[in-house]
Amino acid sequence: MNDFSELEADLKKLRPAPVSQDLAQRIEAELQRANSVATAGVLPARRVRSSHWQSFGLGCAGLAALVVIAFTYFDQAPQNVATSEAKSSAARASGFQPVGLTQTVYSSHDEGLVFSPNDAGNPRRRLRYETRETMRWHNAATGASVRVSYPVEQVVLTPVSFQ
Amino acid sequence: MEVASHEDWQICFAQLGPALVLFARRWTQSRADAEDVVQEAFVRFWRHQHSLENRALLYATVRSAALDRLRRDQRRQRREVIAARDDETHYEPEFASDNESEELLAAAVARLPNEQREVVILKIWNELTFAEIAQALEISQNTAASRYRYALNALKKNLQPHE
Repeated sequence: MNDFSELEADLKKLRPAPVSQDLAQRIEAELQRANSVATAGVLPARRVRSSHWQSFGLGCAGLAALVVIAFTYFDQAPQNVATSEAKSSAARASGFQPVGLTQTVYSSHDEGLVFSPNDAGNPRRRLRYETRETMRWHNAATGASVRVSYPVEQVVLTPVSFQ
Repeated sequence: MEVASHEDWQICFAQLGPALVLFARRWTQSRADAEDVVQEAFVRFWRHQHSLENRALLYATVRSAALDRLRRDQRRQRREVIAARDDETHYEPEFASDNESEELLAAAVARLPNEQREVVILKIWNELTFAEIAQALEISQNTAASRYRYALNALKKNLQPHE
């Protein structure tokens, strides 16, 4: 019934070339090393998080600097700005009100499957989004506005189910 | 327990290694690169699965590792500004052929379009079902089956004696 049975039989006679002799040894060494280091994860989560938090930290630092500059410019800045909460209340007191937050996704990459050590080894799909967030404040009394824009890299892991 | 798992992976790898490398060749420029990909993928897979119950996941892991490597290589190549570059690079799989007819068949397989060749490789030398091929390559079962049929048709045509 199958027109290709002869061809399939011929194909099965072809054998893939054997692998290098040291490949199995390399795998064994890797598996042993993986066993000895419990958290030798496949996920580059630490690097990604670090990058994410670096971007966030950079954004916050830029925001703080701009708020301080804006306060100085309008001659209303407090001398010591201790916390972001204090900054926010100072901003409100000085007449600046948040008017918008936009998030623009300008690139997304499907980075394939990864195995999370925290999820019983179930596979997840890793999607990387590169976005730019822009926050805006406006002072209705003076008409001044402050805008802060910073890049954000986000990595999203979505569960994958086979079957 | 440890010994049993050690033996298990050795048995699995002895059975699957050559065909896994053959599968990985689709995305790599050399056999050594393909072996590196298989090493990375097999270690990643085995650390979390410890069995071959989900074969589709093993091949999906190889594909994912190969694509990760391909992306890294492409980034590096862009930086190095490689002058001579094929737009449609064709990487031939390797077989241990013993006679002329096997060599002709291997060459005919190598001439198949990538999408068809990978389905043939998974079906013939890795003995995956169409459902497993569909999962591994993230395509539908119908697509997997039709690519396989097209590939066998093309092989049959190529191998027919010319007038």
